[in-house]
Amino acid sequence: MTNTWYLYLFFAAALVFAGILGLLGKRNLIKLFIGIEVIGKGISLLLLGTGFAKANILTAQALVITYIVIEVSLVATALALIINIYRHTKSLDVRNLAKLKG
Amino acid sequence: MILQTALLIGLVIFSVLAILLKDLIRSAISLAAASLLLGIIFFRMNAPYAGVFEISVVAGLITVLFVLTIALTRTGEEVRESRLVNWVFPLVFVAFLVIDALVMKGLLGKVPALASGAESGSFGEVLWRARTFDLVGQIAVILAGVFAVLALFRKRDKHD
Repeated sequence: MTNTWYLYLFFAAALVFAGILGLLGKRNLIKLFIGIEVIGKGISLLLLGTGFAKANILTAQALVITYIVIEVSLVATALALIINIYRHTKSLDVRNLAKLKG
Repeated sequence: MILQTALLIGLVIFSVLAILLKDLIRSAISLAAASLLLGIIFFRMNAPYAGVFEISVVAGLITVLFVLTIALTRTGEEVRESRLVNWVFPLVFVAFLVIDALVMKGLLGKVPALASGAESGSFGEVLWRARTFDLVGQIAVILAGVFAVLALFRKRDKHD
């Protein structure tokens, strides 16, 4: 079982790292949020992979479903925020946010 | 095992494409493709409910939300991404993969994981009985999301 666990954890770590790199390097707000989504995919793969390797797939499944529901809420709120920021600054560049005053 | 590995590699490739592609619509679609692959991986891990949620909600609903946002914010000026990222990202990512392959096996032995006991019952029993509190939390989170979106799109009163 350790081999399958290793496989899932390897790819989950790769996804999380790709998301973090995207968050560090990109400037478009939607791109930044796609980075967060990629990190979330890595985390759900990690949860289910560990549950699979430890013969606890049902609990892991319940946790992943909880995470997916939270993700939808998060996406709706964040995209609404992005649209509002766009209306204010007429741009999606995250550097413009540092210039806002008041 | 080989098919599962191929699916996982496809998942990572589509996720990296979603971050690196310039066109936002294309990157949203590759994020959806990554979700689809993740859903298939979940199905093959004997987790059909998580797979169904992943494919229908994440690959379906969230992609629609992304495409809608991209369409609503399209007319503005283009965001200039730094060129350095296109160079540095693949290099650092490959370096991380090498480190990951070398270190992860050693880490797995040291991580104090919970003792694994065989589970009994069906998924419904686990979800409704063992994790009832999660369901309450989920309802609260959905309500919080709805109210947050409503608050963000609130129109100004005439008296202001």
